[in-house]
Parts: sequence; structure tokens; C-alpha cells
Amino acid sequence: MIHMVTGGSGSGKSAYAEDWLLKRQKENPCTQYGKEYKENKLPLLYIATMIPYGEEAKKKIERHHQLRAGKGFSTIERYTDLKGLEIPANSGILLECVSNLAANEFYCEDGTMKERKETLDRIIEGIQHLSRETCCFTIVTNEVHSDINGYSPETEKYRELLGMVNQRIAELADRVTEVVYGIPVCIKSDEQSME
Amino acid sequence: MVLIIGGAYQGKLRYARKEYPEIGWVDGRECGEEDLYVCQGIHHFHAYIERMMREGRCVDDLAGRISLRNPEVVIISDEIGYGIVPVDPFEREYREMTGRICTELAADAKKVCRVVCGIGTVIKG
Repeated sequence: MIHMVTGGSGSGKSAYAEDWLLKRQKENPCTQYGKEYKENKLPLLYIATMIPYGEEAKKKIERHHQLRAGKGFSTIERYTDLKGLEIPANSGILLECVSNLAANEFYCEDGTMKERKETLDRIIEGIQHLSRETCCFTIVTNEVHSDINGYSPETEKYRELLGMVNQRIAELADRVTEVVYGIPVCIKSDEQSME
Repeated sequence: MVLIIGGAYQGKLRYARKEYPEIGWVDGRECGEEDLYVCQGIHHFHAYIERMMREGRCVDDLAGRISLRNPEVVIISDEIGYGIVPVDPFEREYREMTGRICTELAADAKKVCRVVCGIGTVIKG
């Protein structure tokens, strides 16, 4: 199952996503990996997409490390090409965050941008690859679309790409939750997707 | 009246076309004022407000006029007021005015939907 979690910055979406995945793992252990899984020996994987570039990013990453500490996550840093990632046996995956992943995939090192449709497809293929390698996949993305602020054409193109990526993931997802200041608001639930 | 709102690039028009497949649409980026009163649906409504304000035309009573003259219209607008207040004075005024107009429209609308990541949630009606 895929659960997508969105929200503004500082909304508490990461903490919500982590706790939801832990709770789900306890309440609904899948039998995909047999006995080993039932004894909870397989780790939860945390796939981090933020490139630790500069002090601010490092601080942010450290805050997330502390947030996850003791929750049993095993961290994999992966900035691009999720499709090529080899996934160890696991009892759940948390991907954070699609907004970083989209930027990493979209911008070249010289600041130019890649083709949008290809970038979109590459990201979605990566997500589909991960979803095949786990029984419970939680994806954290970011809401950056509800304001105007004299964005450059480059930033506007990125906003458009992320909007399209989020729509595609929401289509694939069984559940979509928007976190508003720590409060989870259901956008799409398992029941609806069963229809 | 039905109001469909959400951030940019959320699939609002696609959602609206699915919900209301029978209606025709005008585009707020290029339509004239008269179109607002005769069309079945308008998308990029925020862009209409921006254009009118850039031309120096009064939009104070826009919501009232639409409600009165085209009460069955479906209106799609971006939500643009969630971020930091823009530095540019025009953007500040346009952003605020769009909020005021959509709030009035929402009060008059029988139904308001908010679209997030392509998925619509009815928040009124």
C-alpha cells in the first residue's frame, strides 16, 4: 500500500508520516517475508533525498535524524535515480522528500533544467520501483503551490513539475493525507480507492 | 454557483471537467468581462482578476456582479495567499484582492471544492 503525506513546511508531516508507518507496521504486519518479519527483525527503511549541501541543509538533516532516533529506521541516502536503487528486505519504506527528489532530478549541476516529461516519468518509475519492494510505502511530499511571490520562470517550472509529480503519486496512492499544523486531514482513503 | 479552488498545478481543471463534463469553459487569462456573465465555467479566474487590476479597472464588486448575473457558473481559481507577503506592491494588492473576491464567491456558492494533488474535497455544500 502507498500512503502519500503532503503539507506545508513545518506542518509536522514528517513526524506524522513516521508515526503512521510505525503504527501501521505494528497493527498490520504483512506476511510477505514470513516468520522473520513477524518477529519484527526487518528494518523500516528511510530513504533520504536531501543533498547535505551547506549548514542549513545539515541542520535540517540532523533535526530529522533526531526525530527518527530510536524508531528503528535504517537510513539510505539517495538523491536521484530511485529506479536503480537496490532495496534490502524491509517491513516498510519512508521516502522523504519528493520536493528534494524532484529538484535533484530536474536541475543539472550547471543550473540548467532537464526535459520535464522525462523527469516526471523518471521520478514516477522510481516510486513504482520502491512500491514493488515493500508492503507499506509512505511518501512525504511538500505543498509549495498556494502562493505567489514573483517566482522566476525556472522556479515556476519546478513548481509545475512538482505539482504534476504529486498528482501522479496521489493517483497511485491508496491513501493521501494533508497535514495541517500537525492535524492529519484525509484527502483520499483506502475505502475510496476500493470503489 | 460552484467554486473550485486549490494551489497552482493541482489538476483543478481536470477535476472540474470530470465533475462537469457537459459544460464549456472560458479562460481567465484571455476572456472579456461579458464572458463572465454568460459562460458556463471559467478557469484561471485569479488571472482574470490580475489582468483587470493591471489595467487599472475596478474589481471591488466583481463577486457580487457574477453572483447576480451568472448564478449557475462554475469558477476555478488558484489559492495564492498562503505564502510570505510579496515584496512587490502590486502582487500584495492582487493577492489580497483575490482572497477577498474568492471569499465572497465562496459565501454565495452552493458548493466549494478544494483540489489537492488532483483529488477534490468538498468543503462546503
